[in-house]
Amino acid sequence: MVKAYINGTGCISSQDTINDQWFFDPVVEPNGDYYNAIEPSYKEFIAPNLLRRMGRAIKMGVASANLAIKQAGATKVDAIITGTGLGCFEDSERFLLAMLNNEEQFLTPTSFIQSTHNTVGSQIALIMKCHDYNFTYVHRGFSFESTLQDALMLFSEGKETVLVGGIEEHTPNFIILNRKAGKFKIFDHHTAFWKPSAKGIQMSEGSTFFVLNKTKTEKSLASVDGIQTLYKPATSDVILQKLYSFLKLHSLLLTDIDVCLMGFSSDIDFDKQLRELLPVIKEETIAAHYKHLSGEYHTASAFALWTATKLIEKQQLPEVLAISNKKPNGIKHVLIINQYLGINYSFTLVSKC
Amino acid sequence: MDALIEKLKGQIIEQLNLVELKPEEINPDSPLFGEGLGLDSIDALELIVLLEKHYGIKIEDPKDGKTIFQSIRTMAEYIKAQGKS
Repeated sequence: MVKAYINGTGCISSQDTINDQWFFDPVVEPNGDYYNAIEPSYKEFIAPNLLRRMGRAIKMGVASANLAIKQAGATKVDAIITGTGLGCFEDSERFLLAMLNNEEQFLTPTSFIQSTHNTVGSQIALIMKCHDYNFTYVHRGFSFESTLQDALMLFSEGKETVLVGGIEEHTPNFIILNRKAGKFKIFDHHTAFWKPSAKGIQMSEGSTFFVLNKTKTEKSLASVDGIQTLYKPATSDVILQKLYSFLKLHSLLLTDIDVCLMGFSSDIDFDKQLRELLPVIKEETIAAHYKHLSGEYHTASAFALWTATKLIEKQQLPEVLAISNKKPNGIKHVLIINQYLGINYSFTLVSKC
Repeated sequence: MDALIEKLKGQIIEQLNLVELKPEEINPDSPLFGEGLGLDSIDALELIVLLEKHYGIKIEDPKDGKTIFQSIRTMAEYIKAQGKS
């Protein structure tokens, strides 16, 4: 079975994830009602003449891709695959607002050009001078998962190095409108993520990139052994049966998993099935979660993969992630069970290599 | 003319998001494209919209752009010649 070896990672999130030491530091709680990405000084990553046209999603994407490439020591990649639910939302909004405010006149090209979902992937390609395969998946809660599936297929076709990433940005208007619609709620306390009492998610944003290799190298941090998506599973029992089958494909049992990262999103309804799964997970392995750190967004599973990679690299499960009281004796296999709005579920198996 | 040049500098900085530049750092006689400010074809479109939005000037023939957008001074002269300053 084809694996993807993670040779480099770059993560911009609502935590100080650019700083390698963050993993052992206390959690950064939102300084407002909702999660905003902690953005770096982009001048270190992007030339000023390019920077002036870029929206935040592009800047976050280019900078985190840059970090991943730097860590992997990659000089070129054979493919760039990005995933995003909302794309370059800020520029889309800017263009539409200009259209409304100026009565469909005086429309400038920049925000229109920069507003498409594939702008991040194309900007990275331009900067890297990469003329190879370039694809963007806009599959709502499966956007990032699709990049991994595509990368694994490219490896089976002979590609050697692939850059994958998930990018999301939000805007104040987006938050205000969704809060009015009752879809988002303000930040409560991070433990509420796996024991919620109300409806609503805590929307966030971020960008996480990975340099994946077909073959293991000395730079390899962990491997993605498999990924599976589930669309609207009817019951938690269906999820569990699919999970057992998924693990069986990799000759594993749930008891072989050292840490299971679960995508609790703090919404009482969307998390129902994960809550029902929790007793089994706690019984057979060690349960942990991550969206209290990243917040919720279409490609939060990329943050989960980054977290899984760190767990394996550091061989530690920080207390802030744990739901179970048990501690792992070494971390060989991490299983991610992500869900988005109770619709898109995915399993990702990450292993020590 | 000087007041118009200063006004144009501010509008160009805002429209093209040239946040690194201060108006006093822009030489009104420097070329806008290539050397000087180093603008490109997307910026040219932004400048056309700027003239239309702020001065009501519509450039009908794209060939005229080459002369009009040589520098900030040539832009100001064109605006004045159109009686829109």
